[in-house]
Amino acid sequence: MATKKKATQEIILKKDTKTKGKALKEKSQPADNPYISSSFWKSMWIICGISIMLEFFIHRQKHFEELESSVLGNMSNWFGFYGMFGFIACSGCILLAKGLSVFLKEKEDYYDDTP
Amino acid sequence: MTHLDNIPPAFLLIIGAFILLILPATVRKIGAIALAALGFYAISQLSEGSRILPEFLGFNLTLLRVDSTSKAFGYIFTLSAFGALIYSWREQCRLQNTAALAYVGSALGVVFAGDMISWYLFWEMMAISSTFLVLARNTKNSRLAAQRYILVHLAGGLVLLTGIILAIHESGSIDFSKENIYQNSTAKNFILIGILINTAAVPFSSWLPDAYPESTVFGGIILSAYTTKTAVYTLVRGFPGEEILIPIGCIMAVYGIIYALLENDMRRILAYSIINQVGFMVCGIGIGTKLAIAGVVAHAFCHIIYKALLWMSAGAVLYRTGKSKCTELGGLYKTMPITMVRGTIGALAISGVPLTSGFISKTLITASAESQNLIWAWLALEVASAGVFLHAGIKFPFFVFFNVDRGLRPKEAPRSMVAGMGIMAFLCIYLGVNPNHLYSILPYNEILSEKNSFYEIYIYHFDHVVTMFQMLAFSGLTFFLFLPMLRRTPTISIDFDWFYRKGAKLFYCCMDKTFNSLNKASEHIFIKKFLPALAQFIVVAPATITVVLLRPVWQESLNPDEDNIKKREQELIAKFSSGTFPVAYSAIFILIFIGIIIFIGRSSS
Repeated sequence: MATKKKATQEIILKKDTKTKGKALKEKSQPADNPYISSSFWKSMWIICGISIMLEFFIHRQKHFEELESSVLGNMSNWFGFYGMFGFIACSGCILLAKGLSVFLKEKEDYYDDTP
Repeated sequence: MTHLDNIPPAFLLIIGAFILLILPATVRKIGAIALAALGFYAISQLSEGSRILPEFLGFNLTLLRVDSTSKAFGYIFTLSAFGALIYSWREQCRLQNTAALAYVGSALGVVFAGDMISWYLFWEMMAISSTFLVLARNTKNSRLAAQRYILVHLAGGLVLLTGIILAIHESGSIDFSKENIYQNSTAKNFILIGILINTAAVPFSSWLPDAYPESTVFGGIILSAYTTKTAVYTLVRGFPGEEILIPIGCIMAVYGIIYALLENDMRRILAYSIINQVGFMVCGIGIGTKLAIAGVVAHAFCHIIYKALLWMSAGAVLYRTGKSKCTELGGLYKTMPITMVRGTIGALAISGVPLTSGFISKTLITASAESQNLIWAWLALEVASAGVFLHAGIKFPFFVFFNVDRGLRPKEAPRSMVAGMGIMAFLCIYLGVNPNHLYSILPYNEILSEKNSFYEIYIYHFDHVVTMFQMLAFSGLTFFLFLPMLRRTPTISIDFDWFYRKGAKLFYCCMDKTFNSLNKASEHIFIKKFLPALAQFIVVAPATITVVLLRPVWQESLNPDEDNIKKREQELIAKFSSGTFPVAYSAIFILIFIGIIIFIGRSSS
């Protein structure tokens, strides 16, 4: 029994040192620069790949069939449109927000002297 | 329970709220939850039609107008209150309990109002009762935010009242319907602006992210649901198919994303995300087809649930850590895993991930834009769909629960909070998997009758699932690719409230300079120069006139000695300036004065 207890205590200690090590590793990261593991990146790319691959196996309903002359209407039926659209829309939003932050961001005490 | 059929649910909650004021804590909390449940039950018992017509100001009010739209909003309002009250079992105080129930009750009052007078009265009651939920936090910032909040809403209320009075004056009817509102274009515009202020439409949007994040943990959840959604309901009633709402909604949807991306405060991110989501609904109302209106009601229903869930998870974090800024939070998944999982379910639902409630409601609005060939509106809504995944779907959970470990080790949220979040998370997934249950209570649900099953949505239209999945996957990838650019800074973003916060100071300075310099100039001219001159004149003028009149008399009667006359003059002037005359002189002057008055009186008569 005693040996078992010792063994479990050792495991707990090992776990503690592991988590402490992890915490130290994370603490050594510069502020607000999170560590994103390579496996996470891999899984991200795999999910995106799968989402594109799935499109091969489905029959997509056509958008804006009545608007034959519309470039956007036709583009919306391209293969992989939604993936491309998601990327462009999101990067556009982020860049726009970043650009606007030059004019819009202020210190937290900006309104302190106002009613 | 047929007698429940004739009781406006608003009265149940408002009267109940004031009874709860005098009850002890535990009874009060149980009573509040029971009232919300009773409200839900009472709404389920209401039969369709208009009734309860008391007379007010010479008009017959309609306190109950029951149809599928008002019932759908009634269900979700009471359901959300029920979840929020369970969640905040620990946090509820007397003021918050009463304010929240009165607020929910007044929102129900608006929803079931069939006339514009009772609509307006309940509308103002909402503004007043909700202010207490901001005040209840009892900090300097919350008091100031509450002040700004009530001022904006009272101003909005006055605009609405102007429109309502004009509409009633034009038609002579108080009926709350599109036909009645559209009879006078000025009235219509006033009413529309009054409602748009409450929907937080750009540029009247800043009151929402200004006030909601300053409220209490419980207040935030309650506030997130009612004011904007009641405004959406009134737009559904009064302005379906109003084309101007399409661009307004699209701008709101994109504006919400941009500001949410800029924000550092987690509850402010969620506040901007409300504007983004309400933008979808406003756009849908502008499209105005049966599918769009059904989509708007469905989206309002689902939105209230997942938004409450997101505010609950943010509230639990605030409750445990006392912090709400992304720059101070991070790594909380280690000690608050249940809150993290439930918050993430809310984040996935708001993003419209398949099998969640957001997917089955948002797609109805985008489909309605597509069916009307409104390509730009469709594109804006798709941008907003992708963007919502960025800020609410990933940014909120990532920066709060993951990101970098800041050494915070709070306990998991209390049981009541976990239970409240559980109810909402369950509903998010339940509605996503069983869309027919939601679709069956929507207005115009007959157009969805063939497309409302799980099979129809997820199997038969699997292509929609794939395209949504594709868009969300790439949006997620973009977030992590651009993560260095999204790094949080301890800053705030300038919004439209700048105009009345900094503008108020500027206005005060201008007024101060203008009126105080005017005041100074007036003092210099009138007080320092004119009044002494007038006083001098009043003393000198009668003396001089008397001297002029008496001089010939003195010259005749006295020795015409100049020195003697001058001496008399000086004596007379001295008597005038000191006001001391011998009694005889005074009597003579009085006689002369009375004589003049009698003369004037006679000549005028």
